[in-house]
Amino acid sequence: MSLNIAVIIKLEPDFSDGNVSYNPDGTLNRAETKTILGHHSAIACQAAFYAKVKYGARICIGTMGPPMAELALNQSLLLSDAEELHLYSDRSFAGADTLSTAEVLKTGISKMNDGKSMDIVFSGFRASDGETGQTGPQTAWKLGFTFLGNVISYEIDVEKRVITAKRLVSYGNYNLIEEVQAPLPVFIAADPSYKSPFITVSQRLSASRYQKEAMIRSSNYKSILKVFNAKELGVDPKLVGLPGSPTIVYKVEKIPKIKSSRSAQTVENLDPGEISNILEKIHETIT
Amino acid sequence: MKQLHEYRKSDGRMTMNEMNENMKKSIDLNAALTKEKEKEVDVDNINKRNESSNYRNLYVIIEQVDGKITPVGLEMLSEARRLINDFNKKYSLNEKVIAVILGNDIKHLCKDLIYHGSDAVIYADDPKLNYHINKIYTKVIVQIATDTNCIKKISPEYSKEFKRPRYMFFAADSTGRHLSSTVLAELESGLASDINKLVIEDIDFRHEHKTKGQMLTFEKTLMMYRPDFSGFLWTTILCLDNKNPDIKRDYHPQACSIIPGVFEPLEKDISRIGIIEEYTPDFDPKDLDIKIISRNILKDTIDFNNYKTIISFGRGIKESPEENIKLIEKLAKLLNAEIGISLPISKKLFKLSDKMNSLYITPERVIGTSGQKVEPTIYIALGISGASQHLAGMKNSGFIIAVNPDENAPIRNECDVFIKGRIEDVLPIMIEELEREKMIQTKEEEGSNVVGTV
Repeated sequence: MSLNIAVIIKLEPDFSDGNVSYNPDGTLNRAETKTILGHHSAIACQAAFYAKVKYGARICIGTMGPPMAELALNQSLLLSDAEELHLYSDRSFAGADTLSTAEVLKTGISKMNDGKSMDIVFSGFRASDGETGQTGPQTAWKLGFTFLGNVISYEIDVEKRVITAKRLVSYGNYNLIEEVQAPLPVFIAADPSYKSPFITVSQRLSASRYQKEAMIRSSNYKSILKVFNAKELGVDPKLVGLPGSPTIVYKVEKIPKIKSSRSAQTVENLDPGEISNILEKIHETIT
Repeated sequence: MKQLHEYRKSDGRMTMNEMNENMKKSIDLNAALTKEKEKEVDVDNINKRNESSNYRNLYVIIEQVDGKITPVGLEMLSEARRLINDFNKKYSLNEKVIAVILGNDIKHLCKDLIYHGSDAVIYADDPKLNYHINKIYTKVIVQIATDTNCIKKISPEYSKEFKRPRYMFFAADSTGRHLSSTVLAELESGLASDINKLVIEDIDFRHEHKTKGQMLTFEKTLMMYRPDFSGFLWTTILCLDNKNPDIKRDYHPQACSIIPGVFEPLEKDISRIGIIEEYTPDFDPKDLDIKIISRNILKDTIDFNNYKTIISFGRGIKESPEENIKLIEKLAKLLNAEIGISLPISKKLFKLSDKMNSLYITPERVIGTSGQKVEPTIYIALGISGASQHLAGMKNSGFIIAVNPDENAPIRNECDVFIKGRIEDVLPIMIEELEREKMIQTKEEEGSNVVGTV
């Protein structure tokens, strides 16, 4: 029995140099910034790809977003060799907070692979723009799946239907790696430091075979793409978009400057003498 | 105002146009709001209307790791204490700060929670709670949050109608973040993450969905302030009941996760008294198949406390990132300093070699409210503009030097020496000077050795 896997991903602003644009006040200039498959979403795809190579999993990727998010789905396909792509797109989804986004994703996941139940759902650590990290665990909860966050690696006993995952848990300066065992199905949020260990030659060979397959599929990704609007998805309109969102953004303001406790000596002239004086001060202060 | 819908966008995934439209709407809305706000609020009336409520008290979910309360727990209690003191005074109520703690053999920690500001503690002590397992912890927290028996003892005057907490606080750390999400998914209410300022207010508000366009008053609203990733903008997030008759629905508790290190804990006061209640949870036998099979504590590789000097860098490396980091490495070596980064840098903004990425572009190096707070003797900020979230993490350093080409950068107000210039122009001079000094020093030492042998 092969594993049935879902990945939820997100189209995000591209923060890399050259693609990102900032306003003079240091905030993101959304109009000028390009969008791509989110960095953490890409890691989730890699984590799903590991199950494909190692256990022959079938992968379906879903996202909620505007029509252009299908480009992110295609990028995810290239990383995971997915068999099926889902886009949940409806104007009524706009303005959703994490709870109502999770409602859409939960419903979408239940429609993947002709409604067969999922064994594992993957998500990224969090989106690089919103950064709440809430949508993954909330989708997991709505699905009734065991949530495993910050997963850095995993192995599955397919016959026993048990997963063993390593998690990186951090409490500021106190970090630990925890190994947890749980029956399937589970929901995994991949940690930014997640790595797929393709150790054997046969794994590497099959990885590259799947990668080639992914390239071919990607060139005709529309044939495996299913787009659902709210009605097709069958979600309760009261539970999605703004009506289904408990939270709202009330206002946005500039964070007031911290009251200055220092007054800086300004050095404009970059001559070695001046710099040397500063270094002198450093030495004095340290000793 | 560009990022008005940053938070919505986080999972809402709107197109740019939709976002801009929404933003415009919100701006209009805010303007209307300010006008309306000038109306006087009749406090007596509010109290009368509020005699009955299903939602009472502020629950603070405390975490413990291996029998130790995590510091953010006490920080949250301190802020909860302040808010509820003001709240009770303002509304003539008697609501409580209730700390909730789960674990195995943790009963003795409860007193500490009272000493640090809570009115009451509800604890569950069971070997099955030895380690934090999200599914099990979520269910127990939900049971406690909706339990009325403990409330009979803690808040007898409100226990009859009590259904759920009014407010809930969680820690914004790797377990609290997930726990808060799943607890609020089960309670089907709203959650704001990574909060660093809280205010309770009555607000007049008009919203297409929440109020069907009517101006309505939302009493005792928890205003949750969230710094965005740039650190320059504050987004206020509210969790509001749907008062629109078409989609009428209560959204309580109003919950958030709080950034560790933001609030000062209260001094321990052993004269404080409070109610300590044990809760015996129901476990689903199926959940007990989830097992922690090993735990290895990692020695932190980056311990800023071991260094007298910290050099951190920000977006100012942009013009030649790889080369600039090499310069920074050199300077750090010469000054025996540890290297830190600003929060935006941790988003992997620049193309760098794998080596540089894995060495420096890591969350453990972030200095600021979303990373570590440091107080070295010398702090050198390179190409960091000085978002308040960064300043909060380093402003108590002894002597601060900033290198930045922009003399209007906020960091200038928080440093002792401001060198106006780019990293690539300033660092080579510094490095050269330091290397020259070192050479002179070595020569002198050699010299004295010779003298010694004579």
